[in-house]
Amino acid sequence: MNGAHLLAVPLADYIGLSTVLLFIGVAGVVVRRNPLIMLMSIELMWNAANLAFLAFARAWLNNAGHIFAFLVITVAAAEAAIGLAIVVVVFHRAKFVDVDDVTLMKG
Amino acid sequence: MIVFWLLALALVASAVFVITAKKPVYSVVGLLANFVALAIMYLTLSAEFLAVIQIIVYSGAILILFVFVIALLSSGVAPFTLGPDRLPVAAAGGTIAAVLALALVVFGIAQRPPQITPIAGGAPPGPVGAAGAFGSVADFGNALFTTNLLPFEITALILMVAVIGVILLAGDSGPSIRQRLLRGRREPIVKDPDFEAAVRRGERPAERTP
Amino acid sequence: MGVEGTYPLLLALWLVPLACAIALWAFGPQLKTAAGPIGAGLVGVCFAMALFSWPEAVQRARGTIGAHITLFSWGSGFDFGLLWDPLALTWTLIITGVGFLIITYAIGYMEGDGSYPRFFAYMTFFVFAMLTLVLSDNFVGLLVGWGLVGLASFFLIGYYLERPTAVAAARKAFVLNVVGDVGIMFAIFVVVTQAGSTTYAQTFARVGQFSSSALLLVCIGLFIGCAAKSAQVPLHSWLPDAMEGPTPVSALIHAATMVTAGVYLIARCWPLWNASADARELAGAIGGLTALVGAILGCVQWDIKRILAYSTMSQIGYMIMGVGVGAYDAGVLHFLTHAFFKAQLFLGAGLVIHALADEQDVRKMGGLRKQMPFAFWAMLIGVLAICGVPPFSGFFSKDAVIYGALERGHPYLYAIGALTAAITAYYMFRLIFVAFFGPYRGNVDPSDLGIRHPELAGTPAHGAQAPHAGQAHEPHRPGAVMNVPVALLMIPTVAFGWLAIGSNSPWARFFDQLFLGGTSVETVVPPIGEGLSSALVFALVVIGFAIAYLRYGTAPARRASVERLRTESVRMPPVLANAFYFDAAIDALFVRPAQLLGRIFGGIVDPLVLDGAVRELVVIAVAFGNRFRTLQMGLLRGYALTIVIGVVCVIAYYAVVGASR
Repeated sequence: MNGAHLLAVPLADYIGLSTVLLFIGVAGVVVRRNPLIMLMSIELMWNAANLAFLAFARAWLNNAGHIFAFLVITVAAAEAAIGLAIVVVVFHRAKFVDVDDVTLMKG
Repeated sequence: MIVFWLLALALVASAVFVITAKKPVYSVVGLLANFVALAIMYLTLSAEFLAVIQIIVYSGAILILFVFVIALLSSGVAPFTLGPDRLPVAAAGGTIAAVLALALVVFGIAQRPPQITPIAGGAPPGPVGAAGAFGSVADFGNALFTTNLLPFEITALILMVAVIGVILLAGDSGPSIRQRLLRGRREPIVKDPDFEAAVRRGERPAERTP
Repeated sequence: MGVEGTYPLLLALWLVPLACAIALWAFGPQLKTAAGPIGAGLVGVCFAMALFSWPEAVQRARGTIGAHITLFSWGSGFDFGLLWDPLALTWTLIITGVGFLIITYAIGYMEGDGSYPRFFAYMTFFVFAMLTLVLSDNFVGLLVGWGLVGLASFFLIGYYLERPTAVAAARKAFVLNVVGDVGIMFAIFVVVTQAGSTTYAQTFARVGQFSSSALLLVCIGLFIGCAAKSAQVPLHSWLPDAMEGPTPVSALIHAATMVTAGVYLIARCWPLWNASADARELAGAIGGLTALVGAILGCVQWDIKRILAYSTMSQIGYMIMGVGVGAYDAGVLHFLTHAFFKAQLFLGAGLVIHALADEQDVRKMGGLRKQMPFAFWAMLIGVLAICGVPPFSGFFSKDAVIYGALERGHPYLYAIGALTAAITAYYMFRLIFVAFFGPYRGNVDPSDLGIRHPELAGTPAHGAQAPHAGQAHEPHRPGAVMNVPVALLMIPTVAFGWLAIGSNSPWARFFDQLFLGGTSVETVVPPIGEGLSSALVFALVVIGFAIAYLRYGTAPARRASVERLRTESVRMPPVLANAFYFDAAIDALFVRPAQLLGRIFGGIVDPLVLDGAVRELVVIAVAFGNRFRTLQMGLLRGYALTIVIGVVCVIAYYAVVGASR
């Protein structure tokens, strides 16, 4: 779609978009109490980072951004798997799936 | 350019929907929309391979995993109802942090706009689907299996560790199936005295006995 | 000062007593009764060494006299060494000679004592300490010796460890002496600032550079030391209490040698005293006052050793008066004769005490002339000497001191000295008459004699202490080892004064070498001649004797001795009974405030302020910790928020400052 052109949109816009997505994810983690929603918000954050990587890779025509985004996806998958396993273990047969109930580390 | 702004709108809207949906299943759908929009965005950035990977891995595997866990945890009467909010400051704090961070980023970019000078020696960008273009499968594969072989191997290791971890965490341990059937239900992991007190007061319903 | 060289005999003389003390202390339990002869023998050897070193003491060369050993040098002007000149020789001969006699006497006196070797270890240590004092060639060595003799005195006064009165007396002596040590220390500081050195030689050479106020300060500082060590008013009250130690200790330390350290100091620093008329006034006045006060208080004592203690105080007052006004040879001569007759008096009193199983109250004595004739004659000779009766030695020295005061323009001191001579005669003959004449009162009920009368409870005149529990000696005849030293002392007590007759006497020639022809203090022509003065003083002495005789010595007085003694005990004025309230004054002025200060710091400042500060730190730390603890709510979202805040901070840093180049 771009051909030999450089970016149609200035790089700064991509960065701004990435930041917005990141902090939407942050807000999700901090405000919501359902652990699944929190994990999904974390996925949002991973993707925001990916967007930034790819934007820079395109701007500098450097493959390293792609490679790193690939790694990010892989690690995000692994983390999601383990995170969900933890959620399952902790909240299996719990009364309510509320992260605020897990206060063993208090104090 | 207009494509970018449309996609940006879709991304933000779906992200907001994810974090504000009432039920987790709605959030999953919103997240799916988000991932698809992102994949299209990647295509506009000449990252064909990664766009496809995004769809396959993220939407195809991770979201399904989320759906499975939602199903697993939905076994109670109303499992996703919540108790009182114990950290009311989080809402305001998160919002302020987000706004502040955005402002700082804008400020920083305004001060030092990022360069867009291409680095020499890479593949040239080309139309989507062109062989050997920047971001194509060939280009990506070339980089992955030559220059970045070690990170690739380490990634494999990470995945293996994840698998082992999941098996250890959620794998079967404790009494056998027969014992479980004979003994009845297990004690839940999370015990909350405040919850018990609330149950006794009648504010929250107790667990449904099987 | 002194011809430089290595004098091995001198060095041995100084160090042998120390080695002996260490050996006796270390091997005491093995040596047992051999400790006594070893100690006495080694001190006798030191005496012989001192005699053999006489020629070195009087050798002259290039404007100096005597011998000098440099031990080590600490910096320019701060050398440490030994000085051996006529003054040091004089004191050393007395320390080792009279010391030898007294330690020999102690072999018999302390027989049967539980820790016999310890006594001799302490006595030889004292000899070493006193030699350090007199042999040093610098002020700091003097101060070291000063402190060490104070320590030896502490050991020996408190020798009977189990008696609380002895321990209290030892402590009192030590504390009062520390006051003196501080005085000397400050004098040394001023000397260093004025003369830049602590050695005698350099200090005396630069006396002319001292400012007059600095010179006065130095003399006052040194004199405070003298007053403490030599029991001058107002630092005298430790001396009567020091009689808690065994009698040989009282004889050697608190009569013959240690208490004369002040006299030595003034004589040694004669250039300083010659240069400061104010210091001479002060020393003379204090000396005269002490002589008078000591004599007055001696008239009202009942313990034989306390009588002798106050007489020591009084006689040292004479010595201080003598060297203080500048009559150095008179003062030192009196020191010599006093050493002899006071040692004789103490040892004779020891014979009496020993024979009467530690009875020290004269009211319970009487008629001992017939029971113990040898002791009686020994005491009588000593008393005649101390009263200044010719031809005994005391006559010559006392007259020299009194007349010396008049010659140097101090008529008031002359009057005080003469009056004190009369009072001395009174109380010494009172002692003789009460103890040795009349019927023996040992079997009379003590309350009939006025002992421990309820009205007198708690005063120093309260009567002698009960015999030492556990150390009571069996009454037995003293052996030869005790009698021979007393007999030997009689010779110089009688005859030593003859060496000082006339203005060109052997004594004068010997001692004046010290001054190397330097100017002495100016003399004025006194209004009366020396012969007339002597006659006048002798007349006063006879009057004193007469009063004592009339009160205690006549036949009717002797027969009625029990009633007389009781009456006198009961009617004693409290002022005299409490020794002019010196102890009470010191207690109120210094001891109570110090105790109060101690209680304030111990009870208030330490637990509340200091400990309180530490406790407050702990409380603050704990409160802080508690405050921060609430941050760890255990809520996952809380931790996430914390991380987010951190991230925002990092973004802020990079946005504002920018990444590093």
